Amino acid sequence: MFFLTYLRHELRLRMRQAILIALGLAVGIGLVVTVTAASAGVENAQSSVLHGLYGIGTDITVTQAPHPGSHTGGAFSPGSTTQQVDELLNGQLSPLNISSVEAISRLRSVAAAAGGLTLTDMKLTIPSEGSLGPGGQPPTNLPAPTSFTVDGVDLAHLGLGPFGSGEISAGRTFAASDESSNVAVVDSNYATANKVTVGSTITIAQTRFTVIGIVRQPQGGGSADVYIPLARAQALGMGPGVSNLRNQVNTIYVAAASASAVPIVQAEIAKLLPSATVTTSGSLASAVSGSLATAASLISDFGRWLAIAVLIAAFAVASLLTMAAVARRVREFGALKALGWRSRRIIAQVMAESFIVGVVGAVLGIALGFGGAALVDVVAPPLSATVAQNPGSAPAQNTLFNGSGIQHQPAPGSTSTVIVHLVAPVTANALVLAVALAIAGALTAGAFGSWRAARLRPAEALSQVA
Amino acid sequence: MYTLTSVTRTYQNGSRTVRALQGVDLVIEDGEWLAVQGRTGSGKTTLLQILGGLDRPSMGTVNFDDRDLATLPETRLTEFRAAFVGFVFQTFNLLPTLSAIENVEAALVPRRVSSAERRARATQALEAVGLGDWARHLPSELSGGQQQRVGIARALVKEPKVLLADEPTGNLDGDTRDEILALLERLWHEHRFTLVLVTHDPSLAGRAQRVGVMSDGKLAVGPGA
Repeated sequence: MFFLTYLRHELRLRMRQAILIALGLAVGIGLVVTVTAASAGVENAQSSVLHGLYGIGTDITVTQAPHPGSHTGGAFSPGSTTQQVDELLNGQLSPLNISSVEAISRLRSVAAAAGGLTLTDMKLTIPSEGSLGPGGQPPTNLPAPTSFTVDGVDLAHLGLGPFGSGEISAGRTFAASDESSNVAVVDSNYATANKVTVGSTITIAQTRFTVIGIVRQPQGGGSADVYIPLARAQALGMGPGVSNLRNQVNTIYVAAASASAVPIVQAEIAKLLPSATVTTSGSLASAVSGSLATAASLISDFGRWLAIAVLIAAFAVASLLTMAAVARRVREFGALKALGWRSRRIIAQVMAESFIVGVVGAVLGIALGFGGAALVDVVAPPLSATVAQNPGSAPAQNTLFNGSGIQHQPAPGSTSTVIVHLVAPVTANALVLAVALAIAGALTAGAFGSWRAARLRPAEALSQVA
Repeated sequence: MYTLTSVTRTYQNGSRTVRALQGVDLVIEDGEWLAVQGRTGSGKTTLLQILGGLDRPSMGTVNFDDRDLATLPETRLTEFRAAFVGFVFQTFNLLPTLSAIENVEAALVPRRVSSAERRARATQALEAVGLGDWARHLPSELSGGQQQRVGIARALVKEPKVLLADEPTGNLDGDTRDEILALLERLWHEHRFTLVLVTHDPSLAGRAQRVGVMSDGKLAVGPGA
């Protein structure tokens, strides 16, 4: 076929020019692939932060910020004797009624929903009036207040929520029959630090719990120190102005039917519970601080615009080079017209050349993209993400006694820092995008050039100075 | 074959209106050899392009075997060129990336002949101009005279009714010029196509049956030598 003969000869004898145009396209495409890969990497990192906090199976969490003005616990005033206070407090979040969990689980595209209660057990000693020093100074031998976080686990949905992502390293996990038993599973870090083993007893809200297991959370994970059955947490927990949290939860963990359903489910929950904070790995970005947040905004702002700008520049360069190349061949096209070649045939010839250049550009661009993504993997430092244990709320506070009286400060464990390694995956979508962009760019360039040349009257084309 | 009536061609060159042809009347018979002489810018090339359907007159009619090239739609004009007209250019206008034989074949592409027949006819045409051994060479590997021979083979491979040659020896040295001229003359005798040859070379014009002289867009035709 003459079409192919001509095409082959053109590309072979003008190879340097073709490769130059293809390279121009490839640089733009390569950057788009790299940025797409990096942003996919950040998305993956964000979702690993979410999973670190809420468990592998959790796609969405629902929490509700406390009403303004409410605060944790009551005020303690010294009495005639020393008082030992041990309370299980719900401070960080407003309770949600358990019926919300059922309502969410009935939504379409929701695979499962589980309620959880994230509480803080606080132990402190209130000195007696008599032991106070001059000016109300507490005695120096007063034990320091201690606190640890307690998570009420929905035993019907052990796979959902932070407990589900852990691994039992000793003892056993919860059974359905544990619902009203005073049993606890302890985080391995807490267990080590406090010399807790299976069979030990710990006290939560003045109630003795038997430790039945030790759970090891994946690196960065571990939102609670102690896990107990949800029903026990509801019975023992206290909120502002309430003595128990029956039928209440403060976090709802939701598994969507599929990853693509997450935004739909998010919107439906927001409609169902207008005052709640609905968090997904996507929306987590705004709740996260640390280098991951910086990387995310860097890629979404700077990276995306850089890619678009370079892509436009690459298209422009490819178009100009193609137009220049075609302009040099105007006499040639005039000669072909004199031979009786239709404009259509001439345009097809140039477009075919451009198409091949586009394919070469796509291949080179993808290679550059893989290189760029690999570079991101190598160069990107481990990213840290610091996030409130429950996004949408202020970190929990501890009450502290010292020389200047009662003070509040963020409780340990109320924020969580997760270290993630950024891996930029080149996805199939990115590859399809790259090929489409390269070919579209080359064809646009070819169309610009050939259209002009083919529309020129043959007499004019022939009179062009070569 | 050709009947031109009051053919005028004007075009804009910036703000200046150029009258390339001014009321040219001309009849060309089948198989005739007409030479057109004239100084640069006298309108010779414009006349040739109008005869070949590469350009259209601003006014007047250009009848070729009962079709008016002035009003023929663009696609029909393209078909007309593909079927009836062979061009030979001063600067050869060969396709630089195609070999000699592929350049000749390019003229048969719009004629929809099989690739085997195309190759056979192109080979024959190259042999007829004495370049049978150079078929695989690129234009850049050929001398000026050889390139023009390829140009002539390309123009004649489709056995056109008309051969339009615009200064075919303008870029060649003396000996080569005579060779090309002799070749054209021989082919004209063999094939009896209508030959319109534009030149400012009097020795070239001398061999034609009739000689026209263009001056300021007007044509005066007299008998040849």
